Amino acid sequence: MYNAVVNELIGSLGLIKPELALLVTFVVVIIADLIFKNNKVNLGLSILGTIVSGIFLIGMSGTNTSAFANLIAVDPFSEFFKYLILISTLIVLVMSEFSEELHNRDVWMGEYYMLVLGMALGMFLLAGATNLIMIYLALETMSMSSYILSGYTKEIKRSSEASLKYVIFGSLSSGIMIYGMSILFGMTGSLDLYAIQSYLAANGFFQPAIFISGLMVIAGFAYKISAVPFHFWTPDVYEGSPITITAYLSVASKAAGFAVLVRFIKLTFFDAAGSSDESWIMMNSIPWDMVLAVLAVATMTLGNIVALWQSNVKRMLAYSSIAHAGYLLMGIVVMTNTGLMSILVYFFFYLLMNFGAFIVVMLFAHKIGSEEMDDYEGIGYQAPVLASLLTLFLVSLTGLPPTAGFIGKLVLFGAVLDSGWYWLAVIGVLNSVVSLYYYAKVVRNMWLRKVDNGKGTLKFSIQSQALVMVLGIPTLVFGLFFGPIMRWAEHSVRIFLGN
Amino acid sequence: MSGTFNILGVGILTWITFLPILGMIAILAIPSGKDEISRARSLNYFRYITLGITFIQLILTLVVYSGFNFSMPGINDASSMQFIERVTWISVTGLPMLGDLKIEYFLGIDGISMPMLLLTAIVSTLAVFASWGIKKAAKGYFAMYLLLVTGMMGVFVALDFFLFYVFWELMLLPMYFLIGIWGGPRKEYAAIKFFLYTLFGSVFMLLVMIALYFAVGSFNMFDMMDPSKFDQNSILAGFGTSWRYIAFAALFVGFAIKVPIVPFHTWLPDAHVEAPTAISVILAGVLLKMGTYGMIRIAWPMFPDAVQYFNWWIGLIGMVSIVYGALCALAQFSVGKRDLKKMIAYSSVSHMGYVMLGLAALNTEGVIGAIFQMFNHGTITAMLFMIVGVIYDRAHTRSLDDFGGMANKMPVYTAIMTIAFFAAIGLPGLSGFVSEALVFLGAFKTYPVLTVISGLGIILGAGYMLWALQKVFFGKLPERWSGPWDPTGKIYKNDDINYIELGGLVPLAIVVIYLGINPNPVIGMMTSSVNHFVELIRIGGNFAGM
Amino acid sequence: MLQSIPLEYYLIISAVIFIIGSIGVITRRNAIIIFMSIELMLNAVNLTLVSFSSFLGDVSGQIFVFFVMSVAAAEAAIGLAIILALFRSKQTIYVDEVNLLKW
Repeated sequence: MYNAVVNELIGSLGLIKPELALLVTFVVVIIADLIFKNNKVNLGLSILGTIVSGIFLIGMSGTNTSAFANLIAVDPFSEFFKYLILISTLIVLVMSEFSEELHNRDVWMGEYYMLVLGMALGMFLLAGATNLIMIYLALETMSMSSYILSGYTKEIKRSSEASLKYVIFGSLSSGIMIYGMSILFGMTGSLDLYAIQSYLAANGFFQPAIFISGLMVIAGFAYKISAVPFHFWTPDVYEGSPITITAYLSVASKAAGFAVLVRFIKLTFFDAAGSSDESWIMMNSIPWDMVLAVLAVATMTLGNIVALWQSNVKRMLAYSSIAHAGYLLMGIVVMTNTGLMSILVYFFFYLLMNFGAFIVVMLFAHKIGSEEMDDYEGIGYQAPVLASLLTLFLVSLTGLPPTAGFIGKLVLFGAVLDSGWYWLAVIGVLNSVVSLYYYAKVVRNMWLRKVDNGKGTLKFSIQSQALVMVLGIPTLVFGLFFGPIMRWAEHSVRIFLGN
Repeated sequence: MSGTFNILGVGILTWITFLPILGMIAILAIPSGKDEISRARSLNYFRYITLGITFIQLILTLVVYSGFNFSMPGINDASSMQFIERVTWISVTGLPMLGDLKIEYFLGIDGISMPMLLLTAIVSTLAVFASWGIKKAAKGYFAMYLLLVTGMMGVFVALDFFLFYVFWELMLLPMYFLIGIWGGPRKEYAAIKFFLYTLFGSVFMLLVMIALYFAVGSFNMFDMMDPSKFDQNSILAGFGTSWRYIAFAALFVGFAIKVPIVPFHTWLPDAHVEAPTAISVILAGVLLKMGTYGMIRIAWPMFPDAVQYFNWWIGLIGMVSIVYGALCALAQFSVGKRDLKKMIAYSSVSHMGYVMLGLAALNTEGVIGAIFQMFNHGTITAMLFMIVGVIYDRAHTRSLDDFGGMANKMPVYTAIMTIAFFAAIGLPGLSGFVSEALVFLGAFKTYPVLTVISGLGIILGAGYMLWALQKVFFGKLPERWSGPWDPTGKIYKNDDINYIELGGLVPLAIVVIYLGINPNPVIGMMTSSVNHFVELIRIGGNFAGM
Repeated sequence: MLQSIPLEYYLIISAVIFIIGSIGVITRRNAIIIFMSIELMLNAVNLTLVSFSSFLGDVSGQIFVFFVMSVAAAEAAIGLAIILALFRSKQTIYVDEVNLLKW
């Protein structure tokens, strides 16, 4: 008995090598920070650790099992999200190097890298968590780091304010979530998602308490993906945080939130007997699809409509990221593997374009000292390369061909139409028409105003432009040749469904 | 397939479509220049590269035309398309539910696309002349211009719905910039209005495209026209079902916004009035045709049952567009700023209504008339907008009140303008007459009442065109224009139209006159396709037997 | 002991505490009190977990409680640190006076 447990533990350690690599790097960065007190060393170590973790991840590709007695699943689905998180982490680390708001003010950067890694670790665990305790702990690991990071430049008033709002709303929603978890535990007698599922399958009748506790748990995840009505924090935190963290929150933490949301719904409530690989039947006839559809419509509509009035680019992108969460939710509504695949494809492209947009906004902010749309007037003629790239990212976010964003929308709407949610698809496409208006406002200010204003060109370092290019070129190329991404996503829809 | 024309191993249609992209890259690579002299030199490079590229494109199009086989129908028959280029573009196999996703790079032309190809090549070459005066951010202008040309050409040669859609959307952004940067006072409003309207239409097209993809399992247009390819569980399978009507209506709205037909036309006057001359020319000359082309290429053959169901309504919409557009054009004489350009913009709405009426006729005369009208409207309206551009550049006003007695001041200009205006009225001997006559001939057989009411459009058209002609050219020359346009003589050496402007207008005038006398070169190439098309739609496509 | 008091009583009391906490978070304006209200919510959760755990005879609920307690402590530490930073720059801990950013 004792040996079996030890063997299980040791065997499982091999399955979390990428997480361990991040954990080790986390510790090493703390120590290195004390010894060398050098930001370059910290940065180098962090990047190294991320890459090592990535190498381990590649080594484990295709694994489809569970570790630590069903605490976390190691499956292609979580693997995909781990790649997304790692790529985001790498971009954020490199991006931080260019960020003047982090470097100029004599902010000590050791903890910064450490916390980014801590956040990545939390997200890694969240992507695979299959136990309520594990979900809670992973979520909190991620949240705690992000609370501090969002207020990292604490000399800026709005930064600490953003942080405060984030921590209040975050604690509130995680409180609601664990209250839901506690009731779920009481009703089903287990914290393990697989065991909850088999209990529900054996006692298959509609229980309001299960439904409400499920809703409360989903509320906690909805907070992370900033779905309406749990989006209140998003604009403020996005505007107030350092822009690197804003970008990180808008992509990576949202990805982790989606991963756990999908896994929770699929593992807990789907009816193994009635479901095929293609479509999942929800047990107890709890209308999760309808709940999520309402959530999706509310999220994208509100995000898009409020974004119309924004004058600050960062804040506009915050609302746009709410809208994108709404589109992505449609992929869960349909409850098919096609829908799941579309979420993965969309997320990958969303990572490219959203990071790209945020980096350009950051670089512009360094030169013109503002993130206001009005200050972008004529910037296209002062910084043609970056402005063109920002235009590309915004066009892609709108979802126009030949950019990657269009493919994301195509696959997503394809999945929605395929499952017969016609009204949802119509609302979705109308929303993307609305979104054109506010993205085009930025484009208008950059190119249509103050043409040839003769204000001389803005100089940007080659490295920073190269970083944007690294995101811009795939945005265009994957818009034309998206086969590999589709194939990768298709291989990654497999969720570990228990033994 | 009539021969394969390859240049350097690449098909000629690909060359025609993507040559402008090469030109765009070349233009982007040339620096704008720092000082006055180098800037002027770069400007000339930009102009001549653009002109050269579009001219080569025109030559290649003529090569295609010379090799074009008039007897092959095309439409829903892939084997009788010509100059086919077909390569697998994206292939992902074994997807869950989606099965095998396959998108092809599939180009080809038939008797419907050939006239449009010619039209696009002619108009985009000649519009470069109208762009000669562009000085502000010229690099961006010519780069965007060439990108726009690629988008337009691509729409007319694509035979894969996905590819078609990509090209369709590709021209939105350049158009937005071309109106928005180089346009008139309300350019920002006009540009975003154009963008939003078109996107609104095309997202519905996107949904129908996806639904059709699920029904047939590929994006190939011919598969979508073939009922045997339809999955019988799909909502779009069958014949005359309400889902098919809804899908057709969604497609129709997507294309109708582009045409534009009443009530989706309100973006057009704004876009035309604010756009620079060359862009108005392109917009009226080619872009509007993409809407009707899309109907003929996609909406009609894919949903013949719905066409039959809605046909009277389509005819009605055509009639309303004709009369309403003409009335709006006429209203320019009584209200507002009496804008000459706005009048021509509304005349476009009216003239595109003839195309709809001709399509609704659903017989050979009517449809030939409709397609020929697309071609003629392209050339004639291109002339009209260039003509307005000429006088606007000099007088800096387009108000009808400001003009009069120009005939003495600008005799050559007057002659050209008279040809264009008479062609727009539909005077016999000019190309507009032939197509309008065919449309009425065809439509009268099908919907006599609608046709008779539409005849009002001709009378109103003659009214506003002649009135405008009289306002501008006859009567007394206002005091303020009595001197030369340009006292310094730097820009305009004499008062009359200059050679660059003539370079744009004269070839179009020749086309208009020649096709008025002998329309066969254009009508000949579409006859067999149109016959096939009419037959196909009349019997309800291949769907009828289902 | 638990046998003498039915499970429902524990659940009702914890639900009441949870609701009081939620209302506190929403209505109070002092950041410290908001955090106290959040602690109240977490304690309600703990009570639910413990009573269910005892009722079901499954210790995993009590293990969860330990984690919730430690996380709550960490959360409070971070929250207080942020309030401190905010107080230094704005001289207030009332959230309605913290309005550089629109809500």
